[in-house]
Amino acid sequence: MQEPVSGDTNMASPPLKTSVVNPAANPRRMRRIIAEDPEWSLAIVPHLSELCLQHIVSNFEKNPVVDRLLPEHQRKVLDRISTGLPLTVTANLISDEGYWKRCCTERWAVCDVSRYGGSWKRMFFERHLESILKYFIPNTTDPNQVLEVIPLCKEYVRKLEIDQFLPPVKLDQNKEEDDMSDSGSDVGVDEFCMHHYDLGVLTAALSHLEELHLTYGVKDCGMNFEWSLFDFTYQDCCSLANAFKKCHALKVFKLCRSKVDDEKTRVLIRNLLDHPCLVELDLSHNLIRDRGARAIGKLINRSKLEILNLCNNRIRAPGAQAIAHALGKNSTLTSLNLRINCIEDEGGQAIGHALLTNATLTSIHLGGNELSEPTATLFSQVLAQNTALTSINLACNHIGLDGGKQLLEGMSDNKTVTEFDLRLAEVGQESEYLINQALKANQEIARLKTLYQPNSLEEKSPDLD
Amino acid sequence: MSRAALGEGEPEGPGQLRRPSLNSEEQEERIAARRLRIAARLEAKRREALGEDPDAKKAEAEELSRSHQQIEESRQRLAKLLNDGTQLVTNIQVAADARETQRRAEEDELKRQRLEKLENESKTNQDKFEEITSKWGSAKEKTIPQDLWDVLNLQQQQCALLIEEKNKLISELQQELKSKDDWYVKDLKKQSDDINLLVERMEEQIRNLMKTYRRELTQIEKAFELERRELLSSNKKKWEQAMQAHNAQELANLITRMQKVEEYEKQLNQLRVQDAEEYTTIKIQLENDVQILEQQLQQMKAIYQLNQEKLEYNFQVLKKRDDENTIIKSQQKRKLNRLHDVLNALRMKLAKQIKQFQEENQTLTADYKRIVEQYKDLQRTMRHFAVIDAQKFLELWLMNEEEAKGLAWKALEADRVIHTQQLGLPWVEPDSWFLDNVGPIVHRKAIRSASKLAQEVMALTESSQQEEEEEEGVEGGRKEAEAEAGEEVKPPRHISVKSVKHILELLCDESGFLIETKLLGLLQPLERHERSLMRLDAIFAALEIDNEDDVYMLVDFFLTFKAQQVVSSQSKEWAEEQGPEKLAVDSADNDEGSAALKEEGTAHQSSAASPSSLLFHPDDVLKALKAFVRDFQKPRDKRPQVKKVMEERDNSKDSEYWEALAHVIPEPKLKVWDALEAALEKYYSVLSQRAKLLTDLDGLQQQNTELHMLLHQYVTSKVNEELLIPPTHVIELTPP
Repeated sequence: MQEPVSGDTNMASPPLKTSVVNPAANPRRMRRIIAEDPEWSLAIVPHLSELCLQHIVSNFEKNPVVDRLLPEHQRKVLDRISTGLPLTVTANLISDEGYWKRCCTERWAVCDVSRYGGSWKRMFFERHLESILKYFIPNTTDPNQVLEVIPLCKEYVRKLEIDQFLPPVKLDQNKEEDDMSDSGSDVGVDEFCMHHYDLGVLTAALSHLEELHLTYGVKDCGMNFEWSLFDFTYQDCCSLANAFKKCHALKVFKLCRSKVDDEKTRVLIRNLLDHPCLVELDLSHNLIRDRGARAIGKLINRSKLEILNLCNNRIRAPGAQAIAHALGKNSTLTSLNLRINCIEDEGGQAIGHALLTNATLTSIHLGGNELSEPTATLFSQVLAQNTALTSINLACNHIGLDGGKQLLEGMSDNKTVTEFDLRLAEVGQESEYLINQALKANQEIARLKTLYQPNSLEEKSPDLD
Repeated sequence: MSRAALGEGEPEGPGQLRRPSLNSEEQEERIAARRLRIAARLEAKRREALGEDPDAKKAEAEELSRSHQQIEESRQRLAKLLNDGTQLVTNIQVAADARETQRRAEEDELKRQRLEKLENESKTNQDKFEEITSKWGSAKEKTIPQDLWDVLNLQQQQCALLIEEKNKLISELQQELKSKDDWYVKDLKKQSDDINLLVERMEEQIRNLMKTYRRELTQIEKAFELERRELLSSNKKKWEQAMQAHNAQELANLITRMQKVEEYEKQLNQLRVQDAEEYTTIKIQLENDVQILEQQLQQMKAIYQLNQEKLEYNFQVLKKRDDENTIIKSQQKRKLNRLHDVLNALRMKLAKQIKQFQEENQTLTADYKRIVEQYKDLQRTMRHFAVIDAQKFLELWLMNEEEAKGLAWKALEADRVIHTQQLGLPWVEPDSWFLDNVGPIVHRKAIRSASKLAQEVMALTESSQQEEEEEEGVEGGRKEAEAEAGEEVKPPRHISVKSVKHILELLCDESGFLIETKLLGLLQPLERHERSLMRLDAIFAALEIDNEDDVYMLVDFFLTFKAQQVVSSQSKEWAEEQGPEKLAVDSADNDEGSAALKEEGTAHQSSAASPSSLLFHPDDVLKALKAFVRDFQKPRDKRPQVKKVMEERDNSKDSEYWEALAHVIPEPKLKVWDALEAALEKYYSVLSQRAKLLTDLDGLQQQNTELHMLLHQYVTSKVNEELLIPPTHVIELTPP
């Protein structure tokens, strides 16, 4: 807990002003009006209401009274009460943003309220919960610490961004050996003790949870590095997958840099199938291979997924083919990222074919996928036919000069694509330049379109400028 | 920029010493501090506004050509810069990606090679291992320890060989691992370099972008400024022109307005004065009205009160009266009933009495006839007696006159004696007419009544005779009286008595309607002459003719009326002229004095009037009468009523005569007599007093003598001597 306790003295100071024994000693105290202090009053004897409010403030923890006060008195009380008050008192009682702003600014130096929907209270509780979970050490930290917070913050938490899960402390290894022996059979002898905190209870309680960003790993480990610190165990995966089931409002799920392999992917996808709300799935920087990709392909058509990020995985041609197959029938997905995989020409061609029929996908990233000329010929066709695509990235491939020419040909017929990245794709400077010219023309068209229909394409205007 | 931040920030700032403090003791300093703060705030606000300004203008600028161009250029430049920048930044990522893919490809290749190598290794080793394991069986069969040892040694060597090979592989792999570690470290370094580069580039990019953005912004602003200035100048020009025009217009308007204002002011003043006057007059009038009305109100109130009281009183009175009336009514009713009874009784009585009176009437009419007869006889005898009385009166008069004259003469004689004997004055005999007068004094009255005239006219012959008799009696005495009597029945010169009579007769016959029917009935039993007289009386009453003059006027009117109507039939006139002529001759006997004059008048008149009067047709009477009534009604009304003095004889002169006779001794003479009498009386009284005194003296002398005797007796009496003090001593006796 990092709650500052220094606020108490600040809070108590204004009422103390009036109760000083010898006011004449300080000339400032004898002034009738102090323009900087709206509370100031020369009255030696403060008003009864003032005294009452003072009492309420000082005894707020024992007897929280806010709702029954007059609006101006409420204001005063909320301005004066300490930010160090226990959350059990304040959480569900105080809805005033000013108070929570004070809480946030005192606790964290950097506060960007725009990321939390403009709500200081939400920010406070999300970050509070995140900090608890970040420093939660299984079997060492009291689980009640989390459970106590849940009823307080369940109404306000929408997003959880946890970039570190601490593993159990190694000293306890021997003690817990018996418990873990049965469960850790398929994970390996070393990982029996590496299970992280189970989110199931939490997600079940947080009914408003919409975004979940998880990274199973340890930050700032320094010289204490061990591989085991970064393990995402099968049991972790199972518990996470179970947690999804209870989390119906979830829209965005990100699980990055967590060594998710095919098995774990399949487990997760199985639980994500037919999810009512899920819109964005980010499994970048993992170890997903073709089987996992196939499972994801299945998911594409059995959910409302719009954004799919699979960059830096181990997907090869079969996986790409599976995804392309799904893409051919899909009408929800708008963005697909397969950067740094190895789908090669077979996969590239499959995706190209899929894009000939698909009419919703607007952005595709196939950078660093060992693609070559055949894919380029197919994409020139796609460029000529498809009118939905606006952004294509084929950087870091081996397209070659001929492929570049073909793409240029396809580009000459296209009026919608505004971004086409062909850096380090060996297409030749001439083709790249001409393609860029075409892109500029398209950008101009798109810009004018947004100018005339500012409402329909509003979100794209910043890109164009 | 919260208030607290400013408030707390300032005093802690570096300029604390120099700047005035908010918490200082002096009020001035605090005020100054606050002023500074307000100025700072305003400055900040202004800067904020300025910062926003270009943005706002940017949105607006689409239409403006110059600024638009500038913006477009800037936009393109910036877009290019942005693109280039992002490319520059992302290049690193792309390069890293490429490297990664390359590394992966190499890694794959190496892995594959390694796996192959390992597989080969394991295969060979497996063979070797199998060889060794197969040798274990042969080794078991060995019973000789030497062999066994050899075999075991061999086995050991082979195993060692195997292990060595394995170790070699391991060391190779470890070497590779080490190199990989180095690679990793290198990669890490490279990546950190990359990241540093990335950051550097990003910062560079941001700096660049900011710089260019700022520059572009200033350029755009400049463009705007220029345009604005141009616009301003052009607008200013326009504005000035418009202003000038406007000013001229304004001036003209102002002048007209001022004129109008003056005009209106004048009118206003005029109106005000007028209105004020009107107002005051109306006010005064109204106030007067109010006062009057108030007065009236007060009066009305008073009247109202008075009326109320009156009415109340009246009401009370009426109430009482009503009560009384009810009582009276009841009484009257009772009375009525009683009177009804009385009436009935009286009716009965009346019927009885009517009968009785009718009888009585008959008897009375009979009586009346008889009495009339008697009355005529009585008149006759009366006339007879009148003659006798007159004779007697004359005789008596003469006798008395003689006696009176005798007395007068006696008195005169006495007077003469007094004068001559007593006074010693010469006596003059008084000369008086009455001493010569013998017989009664007779004179006539001037006016007679109409009926009298009518009567006289009708009974012309009789009255003339009678008058002759009378006149004969009086004749011899007076000439004046005779002149008067001569005019007795004489109508005005132009109207003859005959014609008057004729007209009256006509009138009597024709205007019977003027007489009351009752009277006609009553006149029926009378004889003709009487009846006609009565009738005439009634007619005159109806026509309101009661004077002799009126009658003559009537007659005159008739005649003139006739004369106007008829001027014909001359022959008849002449034939009938004889009648009036005779009448005039007859009447001339009566009028001795003026006979000649009258004759002339009548003759003159008769030529015109008398024929007409004779010709006066009874049918014309009515018309004439109508005309007369119409014409004469008014003048006659004005005429004072002549008092009728009905007198047989005027005896006023008689008393005068007798008075004169009585006062044959005049008043001064009587006074002389009175004075003489008084003096004589006094003389007599003195004489009588003297006589009385003489008798008294005689008595006193006698008494004196008697008293003398008595005194003498007393003095001489014996008593005196007996007394102590005799009175004789006291009384000094003096002889009388």
